[in-house]
Amino acid sequence: MPLREYAAIGDGRTSAFVAGDGSLEWLCLPDLDSPSIFAAVLDAETGGSFSFAPEQPFATERRYLPDTNVLETTFETATGSVRVTDAMLLPDGGLVPTRELARRVEGLSGEVPMRWRVEPRFHYGKRTPRIGRREGTPVATAGGDALAVSSWAAGAPVLGDGSIGGSFVSTAGSAALVVLSSAHREPLVLPSRADAESRLSSTISFWRQWSADRTYRGPWRDAVIRSALVLKLLIHSPSGAIAAAGTASLPEQIGGERNWDYRFCWVRDSAFTLHALMQLGCPHEGESYFWWLLHASQLTHPRLRVLYRLNGSERTPESTLPLSGYRGSEPVRIGNGAGGQEQLDVYGDLMQTAWLYATAADGLDADTARRLAEIADLVCEIWRLPDSGIWEVRSEPLHFTHSKIMCWVALDRAVRLAERGLIPRAQMSRWRAEAEEVRGFIEELCWSEEARSYTRAAGSRELDASLLLGALMDYPSERDPGLSTTISALRRELGSGPLLDRYSGEDGVEGKEGAFLCCSFWLADALARAGRVDEAAELTEQLIGLANDVGLYAEEIDQGSGAFLGNLPQGLVHLALINAAVSIGEAQR
Amino acid sequence: MSVWGAVAGGFVGTLVLTTALRAAGELGLTRMDLPFLLGTIVTSDRSRAKALGYAMHFAAGLLFALIYFGIFAAIGHSGWLLGALFGLLHGLFAGTALVNVLLPVVHPRMGTPFSAAADRPLLEAPGFMMLNYGRRTPLATILAHIAYGTIVGGFVSLAS
Repeated sequence: MPLREYAAIGDGRTSAFVAGDGSLEWLCLPDLDSPSIFAAVLDAETGGSFSFAPEQPFATERRYLPDTNVLETTFETATGSVRVTDAMLLPDGGLVPTRELARRVEGLSGEVPMRWRVEPRFHYGKRTPRIGRREGTPVATAGGDALAVSSWAAGAPVLGDGSIGGSFVSTAGSAALVVLSSAHREPLVLPSRADAESRLSSTISFWRQWSADRTYRGPWRDAVIRSALVLKLLIHSPSGAIAAAGTASLPEQIGGERNWDYRFCWVRDSAFTLHALMQLGCPHEGESYFWWLLHASQLTHPRLRVLYRLNGSERTPESTLPLSGYRGSEPVRIGNGAGGQEQLDVYGDLMQTAWLYATAADGLDADTARRLAEIADLVCEIWRLPDSGIWEVRSEPLHFTHSKIMCWVALDRAVRLAERGLIPRAQMSRWRAEAEEVRGFIEELCWSEEARSYTRAAGSRELDASLLLGALMDYPSERDPGLSTTISALRRELGSGPLLDRYSGEDGVEGKEGAFLCCSFWLADALARAGRVDEAAELTEQLIGLANDVGLYAEEIDQGSGAFLGNLPQGLVHLALINAAVSIGEAQR
Repeated sequence: MSVWGAVAGGFVGTLVLTTALRAAGELGLTRMDLPFLLGTIVTSDRSRAKALGYAMHFAAGLLFALIYFGIFAAIGHSGWLLGALFGLLHGLFAGTALVNVLLPVVHPRMGTPFSAAADRPLLEAPGFMMLNYGRRTPLATILAHIAYGTIVGGFVSLAS
């Protein structure tokens, strides 16, 4: 199934991915970064899935119920049509299952024979479940995990070898319901139909109200609100952390080895995240996220890890799974080895995040202020070192220009915070002097007169789309005010229509990847800030047309076929969309 | 033999039993969660249920320690080995009758062999030897209860 065909539903703890044919092919339980119970997207044979479709040929049409994360798929067949509503149910205060996923089938016209089959494969397909019944309800268990399959008007459940399924005929006006309820290290809670139906209604109401509460009033509101809903899906509700994407190991090149686990929170995304949350009118999510970030980074202070687990842990060891991979793309990786890399840009991201938070909240507590000052001191010590850069290259560390720009951002924001009296001022003159030295390094060593552009790294001729972030972070270029000629060079050398490659040159990994969608939205954002508003709006219009049928983006897109590549839905792309729309809206006013 | 020894043994024994079962859960050996099962007798709020469940479990632990003490006093003998034997019987009783049969009868949110998934949420019933909560549940439960009995017997004996 093409990656473009997947839609996500979720509950703020985990997300399930439904393919265009109604098959649910990715779900991790109990949390987004837990092992999977369905992973057919990575291995149709052993990954496990929950299929639900007519028994005869069909065509489908999908949408999210307006302003919700509830998916609606309409199946049209020769004998009639049915509508399947998929949702992860939100708890309503009573005794409810740990996680609950509902699939409701309504007969719209005629008679449609339907078949469903749940094939749970716990722990990334490693554990085949024991199938049994509890009080008549089919359950699948494996070790400390269990899944109950409750069904009403969906045919008598048939228990097979590792599967639970049923079939029934959906007639016009009928309604069937199948609910998966999971338990992890505790007994199962088995829902009644009335309660599950009630929670489905309240879940729809919650999402609609949440969307209605967003304060964004700028251009492309539908796409922005869809992106906000995607972010809400990726927010780990107990901590406020935001996962980079909902999936693991979906390939950046079909058949290639660029398969990474994105179910972690990257510090790199923090400034974009807080900015977007503030623009959307999500103060609670913004505050939770900022405090989670400070809490997670406390153990390694003043050093920052590149990424953290959603619960704040810094351990993200990388390993491979014995799965065949999406269309044979091996290895299938979980965990992320980039967690141990040195990436200097994260200090700039954190300080920019702190700047956004502190200026909005008009204050910081004394302990946070002291920690931020210590981080600025650390940047003074380490900015001269080479690093792996924002793109986490696995080749030798370099003096990446973007990393240096972000070191300048870290020191500049520290100075600004100190000038406002928000953090201690004792080292302010040192930060200011070091910031000037960083800028001198960039201006002297990271510029190509031939390309009329800043370069990927010091002494290099290669280009890198991350340079666009210099414009977004207000880097005061001497050679290229507003980064105008750099923007043109990037479009010329890395661009293809509305798309941009990340960079030219080596990165230490075999194969070639697709165009990086967030870079295109950064380009639109940078164009708007450079005053090229019509160009920015035209580009954004084109990019919004590249989303899938329900408004989601993967990390990358194939320049030739337009196929999605990489993990999805990619938080950074949706963040970049929101921020670009905001910038263009402001520039148009 | 001292009743205070039984009370102290009951407290420490329950502490060890609860910790052992929680650790077994964390290790993926069982889905049994006694505080959750007990607490949901009185409330459907998960967090409150677990907090109340811990208190109820400690009260039950003290009550069983006093029953142990009564038997020790009746036969005029106590000690850690006898306590371990009581713990084994206690564990078997818990798995076969107490949690398997009696708890579902008094638990308003737990299914029984006679109930259907009707109008309200039902907690998954434990089944014989609580095997519904995982194949290693009987082992974990019995070992934890043997540890409990050993501690109660030992404390009663030491306090003599």
